[in-house]
Amino acid sequence: MNEHAPAVKPHHTVNYMSESQASESARPSETMAIEPEHHKRARTLIDIEHVDFFYGKSHALHDINLKIKEKLVTAFIGPSGCGKSTLLRCLNRMNDLIDGTRVANGAIKIHGVDIYDPAVDVIELRKRVGMVFQKSNPFPKSIYENIVYGLRLQGINNKSRLDEVVERSLRGAALWEEVRDRLHDSALGLSGGQQQRLCIARAIAVEPEIILMDEPCSALDPIATAKVEELIHELKKDYTIVIVTHNMQQAGRCSDMTAFFYLGKLIEFDATEKIFTNPSQKQTEDYITGRFG
Amino acid sequence: MSTSAKIKRLDQRPMKDAIMSKNKFRFLGLTLDDFIKYFFQGNALIAIVVLALITISLFSSGIWFIPQNYQNLVIYRQAGLEYVDYLRQEIDDHTALTRYLSNLRLQQMQLLLKEGKTPEEAQAALTPLDTFITAYSDAATPLNDMLSEQTDIAAAIKDKHNSQQEELHGKEMLLKAGKTEEAAALQVEPVDFKTAVHPLLDMRDTYIETNGIFAETLSNLVFHPPKMVSRSLQPKMDRFRDLSRTYLIELPKYEDQIMNWDQFKPIPKYKALTSFLFGRQWLTASFWQDWYGIIPLLVGSLTVSFVALVIAIPFGVGAAIYINQIASPTEQNLIKPYIEFISAIPSVVLGFFGIAVLGQSMRWLSQQEWLAWVPGFPINERLNIFTAGALLALMAVPTIFTLTEDAINNVPRAFKEASYALGATRLQTILKIMIPASLSGIISAVLLGLGRVVGETMVVLLCAGGRIEIPDFMQGLGAFFQPVHTMTGIIAQEMGEVVQGSIHFHALFMVGIILFLLSLVINYLAQQVVHKYKISIG
Ligand SMILES: Nc1ncnc2c1ncn2[C@@H]1O[C@H](COP(=O)(O)OP(=O)(O)O)[C@@H](O)[C@H]1O
Ligand SMILES: [Mg+2]
Repeated sequence: MNEHAPAVKPHHTVNYMSESQASESARPSETMAIEPEHHKRARTLIDIEHVDFFYGKSHALHDINLKIKEKLVTAFIGPSGCGKSTLLRCLNRMNDLIDGTRVANGAIKIHGVDIYDPAVDVIELRKRVGMVFQKSNPFPKSIYENIVYGLRLQGINNKSRLDEVVERSLRGAALWEEVRDRLHDSALGLSGGQQQRLCIARAIAVEPEIILMDEPCSALDPIATAKVEELIHELKKDYTIVIVTHNMQQAGRCSDMTAFFYLGKLIEFDATEKIFTNPSQKQTEDYITGRFG
Repeated sequence: MSTSAKIKRLDQRPMKDAIMSKNKFRFLGLTLDDFIKYFFQGNALIAIVVLALITISLFSSGIWFIPQNYQNLVIYRQAGLEYVDYLRQEIDDHTALTRYLSNLRLQQMQLLLKEGKTPEEAQAALTPLDTFITAYSDAATPLNDMLSEQTDIAAAIKDKHNSQQEELHGKEMLLKAGKTEEAAALQVEPVDFKTAVHPLLDMRDTYIETNGIFAETLSNLVFHPPKMVSRSLQPKMDRFRDLSRTYLIELPKYEDQIMNWDQFKPIPKYKALTSFLFGRQWLTASFWQDWYGIIPLLVGSLTVSFVALVIAIPFGVGAAIYINQIASPTEQNLIKPYIEFISAIPSVVLGFFGIAVLGQSMRWLSQQEWLAWVPGFPINERLNIFTAGALLALMAVPTIFTLTEDAINNVPRAFKEASYALGATRLQTILKIMIPASLSGIISAVLLGLGRVVGETMVVLLCAGGRIEIPDFMQGLGAFFQPVHTMTGIIAQEMGEVVQGSIHFHALFMVGIILFLLSLVINYLAQQVVHKYKISIG
């Protein structure tokens, strides 16, 4: 799924880049992660420090510093191709699947552990950091088998245990009532919105701590979107959620913190309220008010 | 992005003119689009017509086999060959028993020599057994004499019939050429089968007498079989005694057959086809009787293909999974063209390789002491089912590999990512997601590989051993080291030598039809699998 965004051009051709460079010194910190003003009390769960990321030779992320707080919803916004997905996929090392990618600098720490440390077991990491993709991708199996897939991988085959997990996950994803009578039908028979909630249920079945969502509603109609947003609100109680979204209103509605990216850089990170009402960077304001992007 | 500048189009015409200007170029009333359409329609039509022609010619030639074979069977009966074969069967069964004894003697001899006896001592110890064997074998001598006499008579009848048929044919040709007088001069006398077989039937009284003596001699012998020198071989001797007794009990059956033989008993029409489809003998150009039974060839083709698939599936599918899921890009660039290159090797070259290298080294290997436990080892024939199968596997691997890789490639990347995101290892993802999701593709890849293998000719002609016989499956896996002949092989080998229009010629067409139908079924199955199970996992 390569998105070769045409937005990325040599820097000097983009007019306001000069402003951006001028304002760099004015940014809260070059070296320290940007600290939000609100939610200061919440504990930092994911600590992204000075991360540079490359697809082969192409430099996709530049010196990202970000602290993601526990049990809050953090939204990544920014124009297409600015690196939101890339950063998100760094958090569960999904980028490892793409040849030639590397985190060149810095560290991503979860609970203080650098997840790119050679001693880290990626499989275990991914069990703790679940992911929901932009396009819903249920396996061509039954609803039931989709949900228990992660458990079966871990060798759990006890029927009553699996049944219990299926019900809990489906309830958790607000899908139980709709599918309880057809658990053994193919998941591909569900509607788009149901499929996406099934993917969320599948992700929470393995009981992760963090759930990454990459534009989970971009292919859904408004009603399905509302349902998923509602669900995110519920999930927040138990999980730390990072969500990439193109939809400003969505970011406004369902996130606590918002990070704005542009051309592979983190421009601003703050409480969602603050970003949407009184951003400190001009680029952020331009983007939010729809003047570009 | 709005601009007030006038838009500069290449085409300055007003829209009304522009959209109404559909290309009016016509040739013979056809537009260019029509030409393209008819060209491709024509191509498709030609392909279909050619296929139909092939099918029709195959069937229209093959169909002649049926009446010819029926005639063949009728002559077999009326000329008395069938009658003589009853006696032959009786004697053959007896010979098999004698052979069993000789084998036993050989084993005993080897055992004695192993125990440290000198050849002279061993020979001495075997004397009673030898006398017994000679007596047992000689008991059939009078019957054998009778058989050769009968064989000569029956063969003469058949010869006479054949030459008479040829004369008839010649007469027809003369008539066709308008030479009526010369044709009239040619007096062709049809063979009167009824009187011709009289000498055979007259021998029946002597036969009953001879057979009685034969039975008595045998039962006397079997009543006191010699004890084996080595205890360990005694059970085999006991078994011989049992086999012999069964044979004796069944002797009246042969007698009945001979006594009740009816020269003019009609042969059911379906026999003309079933004797081909279920016939266990393919015997041609024999002075006695030709048999056209496809079973040995079919079994040969199937066993060779089976071996080829057993070898090719793990390699082809494994390589595809490895290349697609595990290998680094450098490895991919190295291995992929290499595997695909294999299919460019001319099959006759593979055949050379099979004879000179594979067959030779397999035989050498099979003679090594430490491999003696392998079933079928040591092998006698370097050209056998396994040799041909291994080479055909080489030809099937590229097909299976390429199509399997395509199938795996077609599995949406999203499945794979979803699996990894749930904490699956690479192996788990391959086994639980990639393979099930591409299973229909893999199965059809295997079926198409099978189609390739079944139809392949050169390699089996050179390397399968060319023995027209059903392998002896009693030997278990060892059966796969026996030589066979195949359907494709027999056609390639015999088509050039047979007389056009003869029964043999048409029999080869029948083999071709069976081969054609087999390939058709395999291809059809491959397509069905792809359609039916597009993507679905358990
Ligand atoms: N697999 C890939 N290989 C090479 N470049 C990629 C790949 N995926 C994304 N990129 C590039 O990385 C940059 C960031 O992409 P991405 O993170 O997908 O953007 P976003 O999700 O914000 O739209 C883009 O310039 C894109 O072209
Ligand atoms: Mg994206």
